[in-house]
Amino acid sequence: MSESRTQLRDMLDIAQDEMVMRDRIADLLEQGPKTIPELAEILGCPSREVMVWLFGMRRYGLVEGIGRAGADGYFQYELMKRP
Amino acid sequence: MLKPDADGRLLDYDVMVVGAGVAGMETAASMGDMGYRVLLVDKNASVGGRAILLSKVFPTLDCASCIVTPKMASVSHHPNVQLMTYSEVDAIARNSDGSFAVELHKKASFVDFDACTGCGKCEEICTVAIPDEYNYGLVTRRAAHIAFPQAVPKKAVIQRRGEAPCTFTCPANVKASGYVSLVRAGRYKEAFALHLENAPLVGSLARACYAPCESDCTRGEKEGTVHIRAIKRFMVDRYYAEHPEPEYGPVENQLETRVAIVGSGPAGLSAAFYLARLGHQVTIFEAEREAGGMLRTAIPAYRLPKDVVDRDIKNVTALGVEIRTGHRVTSLPELKRQGFDAVLITTGASDENSLDIEGRDLDGVVGCMQFLHDVNVGKLPDVKNKTVMVIGGGNSAMDPARAAIRMGAGRVIINYRRGRQEMPAHDWEIRGAEEEGVELMLMSTPKRFIGKDGKLVAVECISMVLGAPDESGRRRPVPIEGSEKTVPADVAVLAIGLAPSTTDFPAEMKNGKGLLVANPQTLQTADPDVFACGDCVTAPTMIINAVAQGRRAAFYIDRRLKGEPLDVPFDGVLDKTGKAAVLEEAKRFVERRPVPQPALPPDERRKTFECYEKAMSEAEARQEAQRCMNCAECSQCMECVSVCAPKCIDFAQKPTPLSLNVGAVVVSTGFKILDPATKELLGYGRFPDVISGPQMDRLLAPTRPYNAVLRPSDGKEPERIAIILCVGSRDETVCNPLCCRIGCMYAIKQAQLAMGALPMAEITIYMIDVRAFGKGYNEFYEQAKDMGIEFVKGKVARIEQLANGNLALHYEDMLGEGGRKIREHDLVVLTVGFLPNTDVFSLYKGGELAADDFGYVREVDPISEPARTNVDGLFVAGTTIGVMDIPDTVLHSGAAATQAAAYLERSGGRQ
Ligand SMILES: Cc1cc2nc3c(=O)[nH]c(=O)nc-3n(C[C@H](O)[C@H](O)[C@H](O)COP(=O)(O)OP(=O)(O)OC[C@H]3O[C@@H](n4cnc5c(N)ncnc54)[C@H](O)[C@@H]3O)c2cc1C
Ligand code: SF4
Ligand code: SF4
Repeated sequence: MSESRTQLRDMLDIAQDEMVMRDRIADLLEQGPKTIPELAEILGCPSREVMVWLFGMRRYGLVEGIGRAGADGYFQYELMKRP
Repeated sequence: MLKPDADGRLLDYDVMVVGAGVAGMETAASMGDMGYRVLLVDKNASVGGRAILLSKVFPTLDCASCIVTPKMASVSHHPNVQLMTYSEVDAIARNSDGSFAVELHKKASFVDFDACTGCGKCEEICTVAIPDEYNYGLVTRRAAHIAFPQAVPKKAVIQRRGEAPCTFTCPANVKASGYVSLVRAGRYKEAFALHLENAPLVGSLARACYAPCESDCTRGEKEGTVHIRAIKRFMVDRYYAEHPEPEYGPVENQLETRVAIVGSGPAGLSAAFYLARLGHQVTIFEAEREAGGMLRTAIPAYRLPKDVVDRDIKNVTALGVEIRTGHRVTSLPELKRQGFDAVLITTGASDENSLDIEGRDLDGVVGCMQFLHDVNVGKLPDVKNKTVMVIGGGNSAMDPARAAIRMGAGRVIINYRRGRQEMPAHDWEIRGAEEEGVELMLMSTPKRFIGKDGKLVAVECISMVLGAPDESGRRRPVPIEGSEKTVPADVAVLAIGLAPSTTDFPAEMKNGKGLLVANPQTLQTADPDVFACGDCVTAPTMIINAVAQGRRAAFYIDRRLKGEPLDVPFDGVLDKTGKAAVLEEAKRFVERRPVPQPALPPDERRKTFECYEKAMSEAEARQEAQRCMNCAECSQCMECVSVCAPKCIDFAQKPTPLSLNVGAVVVSTGFKILDPATKELLGYGRFPDVISGPQMDRLLAPTRPYNAVLRPSDGKEPERIAIILCVGSRDETVCNPLCCRIGCMYAIKQAQLAMGALPMAEITIYMIDVRAFGKGYNEFYEQAKDMGIEFVKGKVARIEQLANGNLALHYEDMLGEGGRKIREHDLVVLTVGFLPNTDVFSLYKGGELAADDFGYVREVDPISEPARTNVDGLFVAGTTIGVMDIPDTVLHSGAAATQAAAYLERSGGRQ
């Protein structure tokens, strides 16, 4: 059982990376739909941070979730247009 | 009876309602219906308060939007209600006649609300991402934003807290924060265009600007300043590589007016650029054979390659500016005779101060400008294997020294009369010189130059000691008698200061130091058609100051030529953003070390005039730009301006203060939400899947931030959701003994909605008890149990994260078997308590507005006269007196409206 005493990375700090990370996410999604953990694995970033960037993109119509979540509980996301 | 004020003015409004949540909207609409003229003020960009952010409402499960949006629309369209959003009340005081004097201000939104169509294009293109408070920080929004999809009024606002320190500090106000933001967003062409708005010599500045912006960068207080100049270097190199020629030609609207500019340095070129963009016919006269001033003749190519200067000049000539080189102007009247309507003098300061000591005229003793000029025009002085002594300690001493190294000098010495600390040159320049092998001979000055057959062979130097401070406050160096020594040298370069190049102009135009005299604001000289700027006015400074002055001169010359008055300010600049707030926010930021600037190693630098700083790669430049902390929030990238069709963005907007008289006041400023992180053991802020009740409502709302109900850690649909009641309510440990009154019900609502969205999920509510006191509430609770929602009577003491990322809840089982238990969940919702919004107490200035024991506004007699406070004529509505649900808020607001109406009638009726 691991108990973290450390605070999560600040949202404002994560937001600061959005404009760079969304291009990298777009590059990856251009190759085909992916789940958040898949994106996180390739980008080498925590899934929580990918969530922030990806849903920042979704807000402006750049990505969308496909259909229903898979058996593992994760949605796949596809690129609608590049930033 | 209400009386007219000193100006004979009656009331501006019958009543002012502060806060446009459910309570404020309800009160305003009711009073409007009764015929009173109502001013409804809210500090947010939209009305709707917290309720519009909810998913559905208990116990009916009506959609919150369906309930709240009609109220929002009604106050916005009501003929008797004036809405004032994005406005803050600063002070309320009661007048002796029973009316109220109110001070408030409209915040600067930088958007003209009358013109904004709410299209959201600004938001889409904005380059600054900021956590979205309307989604309780689950996602980001942009600096330019419309509060939320149902916002009323549906207008964009731009969050901007001032001028970013970098932009503010730049003498030309080049929007450093803006182009850094654009580079971060991968928009290099736009970054270049933005730079052109304030300075046309982008390439030269990217290489040779002393970058005052960097010295004031907030990141400098952490791991080191953002290397803004390196980011610019990447941006401009890329742009010039892709665009060997400018993408524009002369402007369409050409004017007849002709302007002569004397000198083609940064000041002259910049003025020419902005004048030509305004359509004036501009001719630059340059005495040298090539244009560029110091960029061309002084700064060595290893710092500023001359093809970069050429390309920068094309930015100017593409507009139709003519540059006549090899043409020294010696008579201003002659220029006027040639038909120029205005003249701008930008002749710089490249005359040399001389050193009156023995041997000054020996062959081998040269001025620094002469030396650099020869180097730059290819007449390389012969220094191979020779000893070169440069006299002086400023930046202009570094250039000949480092140039001499590159030309193969055997030994290069910088001789400076004070110590290393006192050297005026930039530290990085001195370090660069030392790395390349330049020797520093400090606390020493030449006493005489020793020659043989008319040629310099040695310099007699004397050691110095620092004495008392001089008028500039610096300690004056004093020679130490008898400390003379002779240093062999073949070349001595005097870099002891420069004088204005103004010998061609009459004495009456100059001051005692030879500087041209011009009005510091308009740069106009005593002759109204002659302007002067740059180093010939300011004394030697730096490129960016000259550029700044050039743009300023263009502004005022244009006005002069159009017959417009000159007593108008140039460039509306906001106050500099305070760093303290930015650094406070950045306390929990991860460390971001500066990206090293690629450069040639010192050994290679010594051999070549090739530019020793190399451009960053695209990835490096963007990574460095990511270090920017968006000090001012809006970065001034101007992207929104470029897409806004109705042209409603106005960065010159200022807050508008207003003073009003109103007959009565109703305060409905709502409540605050307790910070769930105060219950430290529950892990909020440490575990991403521990969220607050308000966040859960956003996840369940139709306008939710995600595409489904997902856990924030990784986007998985949760399977085992825990909802914990009374977090920070009924809790003396956080000094909040109150029951929050709505937690049980909104938690049951969330459980029911989550079950609808995630039919396979297990949902458990951890409670002390369930308080279901209202009509239909107990049925709602029973319904939840029937749906399979589990209620566990037990207080949760602690939450830990398991290795698989799930959360272990440690709780005390108070029914069942009893005792300590642990249960695993993958999403935990903390039903947090609420706190009073105490801001209201500081608004009332006329005495003390009474509070109850819990810090909410006290109703003097809640049973017979609800909504009345101890201040006659000032009423409260809704949760300002204590948290309640929407039906109770609406009821209470009805009471407030009635009380306020009765007061108005008593005190003289509506106006
Ligand atoms: C998570 C959660 C779930 C809830 N679920 C339900 C539910 O299902 N059903 C239900 O009935 N209730 C629910 N509620 C309660 C409901 O949100 C409140 O009853 C309602 O919002 C109260 O309205 P109000 O106008 O008093 O306050 P608020 O909605 O807080 O509005 C106050 C307004 O005042 C403005 N303001 C504050 N200070 C100033 C100032 N100095 N100058 C100008 N403007 C100012 C604010 O910007 C805001 O717009 C829930 C609350 C929460 C937090
Ligand atoms: S200027 Fe740039 S950062 Fe500022 S609001 Fe507009 S788009 Fe956003
Ligand atoms: S952190 Fe960014 S906005 Fe702030 S001063 Fe530095 S470069 Fe400018």
